[in-house]
Amino acid sequence: MALHRENGADGVTRASGRIAVWRGGVCGVAAVLWWFVAVAPVWADQELALTIRNHQFEPSEVRATAGTPILLKVTNADTAPEEFESTALNREQLIRAGHTITIRLPALKPGTYEFFGEFNPQTATGRLIVK
Amino acid sequence: MLATFVITWRETIEAALIIGILLAYLRKIGHQHEFRYIFGGALLAVLASGLFAGASSLATRLVEGIGEELFDALILLAAVSVLTYMVVWMHHNAKEIKGELLSKADQALARHQLWALGTLAFVGVFREGVETVLFLWGLFLQAGPVADMTWQVTGGLVGVAVGIVMAWLFFKGFGHLDLRPFFKVTGILLLFISAGMLSSAGGRLIAAGLLPPLVEPLWDSSWLLSERSLVGSLVAGLFGYRSHPSLLELLLYVGYFPLVLIWLRRQHHDLAQ
Repeated sequence: MALHRENGADGVTRASGRIAVWRGGVCGVAAVLWWFVAVAPVWADQELALTIRNHQFEPSEVRATAGTPILLKVTNADTAPEEFESTALNREQLIRAGHTITIRLPALKPGTYEFFGEFNPQTATGRLIVK
Repeated sequence: MLATFVITWRETIEAALIIGILLAYLRKIGHQHEFRYIFGGALLAVLASGLFAGASSLATRLVEGIGEELFDALILLAAVSVLTYMVVWMHHNAKEIKGELLSKADQALARHQLWALGTLAFVGVFREGVETVLFLWGLFLQAGPVADMTWQVTGGLVGVAVGIVMAWLFFKGFGHLDLRPFFKVTGILLLFISAGMLSSAGGRLIAAGLLPPLVEPLWDSSWLLSERSLVGSLVAGLFGYRSHPSLLELLLYVGYFPLVLIWLRRQHHDLAQ
């Protein structure tokens, strides 16, 4: 009899635990959705374009204004894949041959931010100058 | 040659560490006959990486733009879930072990746990697999003197081979530890790898524009440890080190540990009841 009651109590704890997990999940999904519609920026203010040709960036130097977010479009015109990498910008994105990717950057402080192609770091180098 | 070697070696070392730990774990608990789950998962990941890297332009268009970042983030989050799950049950296993100097235990492993190990082997290899395959493929395509290209390709392939040898060395190295220290050392390593993956997943979602970086960059520690140095690239590959992290990535990294501790404690509490 005592054993029976214990099982019952355990069942109730489990059920309430499950409800808590469900509530948490629903709140999480709602928070993510909220980001999409109400917080995530739909557009950035500056758009810059770069092309990779013969394992080199063209142009190898781009300029941007400080304080506004940046969209950096990088086109890989080579037949081999490349990876855009910048430790200073904290970005690392793969670009397949013939494809264009968009690198989203927050508003930056004035300075020089170097980037390179990870697969050809000797030739594919460039910098972003923010003023 | 050295440059291509360093790139592929760095890409494979994390997978090597994970595979080495998984194999050593199975042997420690007397399940070496289940190695096929690990090898199967790893082999499938190599095939999947090749397929994905060579996918038609239609398939790549489907995941292009933010799709590729989102895909990366999902792979990373899957890896974090399975890794965390594994660390929690390893911790539980360690609690059951009585003798301090035991080097081997015979413990039951449920089928779903074996599948989790196989999945972990798959995700661990697939995570950097696509990039490694694309990189090696790119080397083949590159114009230039034939002799020079041959050296570069050789360097890339040697990097992968050294990665595989390292998996074996990790397996042997961890195999020499007694059970208690084995669970402690590998558990802590896996937690740091997992925290790095969680923070990287955040980084992918920031790159896709789906999450705000909050503050970026938070600091610049490249004067102390640069990702382009030998040690820095290893720490970056293994534990997700960033010299210019965003606040969100840092919060994910640091916030991961208390969450796991809460889970471990809750599980302990459940078992005690």
